[in-house]
Amino acid sequence: MNIHAVPQLTPAETALVDAFGERLSLLPGDGAVMVKRDDAIEQVKTGLPTKRVESWHYTDLRRLLTSVPAFDETAKAEAVAPVLEGSAVFSVLNGRSSEKTAKVEGVTVTRVADKLTDGSFAPALEPRGSDDAVGALNTAFVADGYFLDIAEGVELSQPIELQNVQAGGQTHVRLPVRVGNGAKAVIVERQTGTGDAFVSSVANVTVGDGAELTWLIVQEQPDAAATHLGQFNAWIGKDAKLVVFVMNAGGKLVRQEINVAAKGEGSTFTLRGINLLAGDTHTDVTMVLDHAVPHTESTEVIRNVVTGKARGVFQGRINVHQYAQKTDAKMACNTLLLSDDGEFSTKPELEIFADDVQCGHGATVTEIDRNHLFYLMARGIEEKTARGLLVKAFVAEVIEELEDEAIVDALEGRLDKWFAEHG
Amino acid sequence: MPAVQETIERVRKIDVDQYKYGFETKIEMDKAPKGLSEDIIRFISAKKNEPDWMLEWRLGAYRRWLTLDEPTWARVDYPKIDFQDIHYYAAPKSTPGPTSLDEVDPELLKTYAKLGIPLKEQEILAGVQKPANDDGLDEANDNGAAPRRVAVDAVFDSVSVVTTFKEELAKAGVIFCSISEAIREHPELVKKYLGTVVPTTDNFYATLNSAVFTDGSFVFVPKGVRCPMELSTYFRINEKNTGQFERTLIIAEEGAYVSYLEGCTAPQRDENQLHAAVVELIALDDAEIKYSTVQNWYPGDAQGKGGIYNFVTKRGDCRGDRSKISWTQVETGSAITWKYPSCILRGDDSQGEFYSIAVSNGYQQVDSGTKMIHLGKNTRSRIISKGIAAGFSQNTYRGQVSAHRKATNARNFTNCDSLLIGDQCGAHTVPYMEAKNATAKFEHEATTSKISEDQKFYVMQRGVPEEEAIALIVNGFVKEVIQELPMEFAVEAQKLIGISLEGSVG
Repeated sequence: MNIHAVPQLTPAETALVDAFGERLSLLPGDGAVMVKRDDAIEQVKTGLPTKRVESWHYTDLRRLLTSVPAFDETAKAEAVAPVLEGSAVFSVLNGRSSEKTAKVEGVTVTRVADKLTDGSFAPALEPRGSDDAVGALNTAFVADGYFLDIAEGVELSQPIELQNVQAGGQTHVRLPVRVGNGAKAVIVERQTGTGDAFVSSVANVTVGDGAELTWLIVQEQPDAAATHLGQFNAWIGKDAKLVVFVMNAGGKLVRQEINVAAKGEGSTFTLRGINLLAGDTHTDVTMVLDHAVPHTESTEVIRNVVTGKARGVFQGRINVHQYAQKTDAKMACNTLLLSDDGEFSTKPELEIFADDVQCGHGATVTEIDRNHLFYLMARGIEEKTARGLLVKAFVAEVIEELEDEAIVDALEGRLDKWFAEHG
Repeated sequence: MPAVQETIERVRKIDVDQYKYGFETKIEMDKAPKGLSEDIIRFISAKKNEPDWMLEWRLGAYRRWLTLDEPTWARVDYPKIDFQDIHYYAAPKSTPGPTSLDEVDPELLKTYAKLGIPLKEQEILAGVQKPANDDGLDEANDNGAAPRRVAVDAVFDSVSVVTTFKEELAKAGVIFCSISEAIREHPELVKKYLGTVVPTTDNFYATLNSAVFTDGSFVFVPKGVRCPMELSTYFRINEKNTGQFERTLIIAEEGAYVSYLEGCTAPQRDENQLHAAVVELIALDDAEIKYSTVQNWYPGDAQGKGGIYNFVTKRGDCRGDRSKISWTQVETGSAITWKYPSCILRGDDSQGEFYSIAVSNGYQQVDSGTKMIHLGKNTRSRIISKGIAAGFSQNTYRGQVSAHRKATNARNFTNCDSLLIGDQCGAHTVPYMEAKNATAKFEHEATTSKISEDQKFYVMQRGVPEEEAIALIVNGFVKEVIQELPMEFAVEAQKLIGISLEGSVG
């Protein structure tokens, strides 16, 4: 897509290309890994995607990414308390995994740095296409992360939290997970930190036949300066269940991609997302869902609250392949636009090649319902409180659908924290 | 739920190999040599006896066009068009501006008779029953309106052959003529409005059209006038290897109202032919323009050979406060359709509407939709789109709704449904929604589960089987589009849309 000859690199692009030259000798892996890195940086050199690239229509990365911080080896990041109590925590602090990690029965944990060094990770290093800027940047620079292999039939009794904490500078991590057939797990992907960080994080996840995985992405980078480029790619097996929850509550420039392929018959995919947007920030959630086989189901609900000068984007595309008969797919994107300086753009696409399917999407953008507000105010609740209640209820509804009490409580806690900080 | 048999049969009836208008008229033509250059543009301009400013306008557009690239973002696939392999001007030889029907070539009259287009100023159109009008107790006309009549502008390849009811319209102050005539007779109006909605720099095909447009209709409805009859243009491509580039300009002054219909057909040929039109609508304060299209260009044969490439730019400008523009389209023809009738809601309290039914069959490719650009305060828009894909066709809805920062209280409701018949075709929905204003209220839905159990139960408990109950409810919903069509077109469209939409997908 972005194959136009780019006459001149932007300062941010130049910084990335220069950083690659400087970091090259420090990056783990040689041979096959190096070839992949070289190819990826060549892709970056053709220019970051602009709005002319359809998948980046509302996030002109080339224009929005004005500067990139240098790698900062001296920064100190501390592990944070997990979102879910009692989680086994695996932290990547300033781009480095720890040698001493928690032990979880039935789960084999490998450091990605080791897999890069021995070259076994090379096949997984591949951008998804010419418009995959997140994948390309991550492939070029990835240095560490954790690979979790959850054995067949294992039902984890405690949640796992994969933490990526960054105190300024750059970091590029991978968090690959394999969930064996019939296994069950709850995993939190935590993205947080301080300062003007530049973070890319790619999680490639396979969900085995009959397995159940709940994956919660909690992104709370600082509003002021952090750039967060996240990518979650999943392949769902036969009769398997995947629930993905995304919460974006921070970051100056955020792009979270979710690419899911329903590969096995009888599989179900659920996406729930809330974007809490404030300040002068830009947040983009882009989902591509492939229904590749018959008899699969999916539902996606995204709720957005836009305040201040924030700009929000949701792009969702559901592809139903020709043989994917009996697909049932529904997608909704609802936005509360609370500020005249804010904006929200959405593009819910359907691409359908099978005739016996049920697919639908709905999208709304609106302000707070006056009747609802009146109802509360008529009962003596002052306007500000009433508004707060309604806005919170609007997003909390999505969280409550997750059912698991511990998860709901923990996420509502994050929600309260955001509302406390942003009024 | 898959489509029911009845629907499948109805769609088959309008399949590509059932094309009824594929005949060719043998008539001597006056053609420009193939190819495109400044000389050809001068040739066209001279043929039309145009003033110098018009020629300059065309040349400016042509120079701009040379710098543009063909757009590739639409979901359509076709071999590269050789723009030098097309005749940009073709006109029947024997019509040096006929003043009455008697002077028109009988071959042409036969053609239009065959197509069912009334060139005689008759009162009742084919397909519409003459109302039983015995003793003044006329139910059909209980509002006291005169019998419905339609004024027709017939465009044959590059020229307007005849325009009917001109004198009667003139009495009401309405100007209805071909655009070439308007350029000569009403240059001040053309100069004031042409290119103000779709500028010559707008897009590849609109720019090409600005350089080489040959004919089309011009409508001017002055302040406070309600146009006394429906206006209509009928476009016919006849000549081989020609492109048709028509340009339509409709202006409704303050408080005026006009309803305009457009129809089109072309002969069956193995080669693809290019049709790149531009339509500009301008509605001033309190004016209303209703624009309806039944597009039935030759769609190509069952193997996907031949057919019209329909690359059209249609845009309405609600320039005045409380103005309203409404687009209704029934799209069944063309090998490729690339068309987005849009509304710029500039005036405060202005309204835009888009009602569309697009049926694709054979190897047809449709990429159509609308844009509603909310700029003024309290503007409203409504989009209802139904896509039906069968055979090997691809049917895409692509639409944009945006609210500008200052467009307080902008409202939009969008509903687009599509139906697939068979597993070799595709239906796609690509809506873009952009809100930059907290008071904007946008709703977009694309789903069929909207039929509530209650509605279904209500009908079924009166003894109607489930499938029929669904059909009844859904047809009631499709009616939303059909009833927007003027009666003359509704008859034609009804044949296309008894189609129920069970099994629809977003």
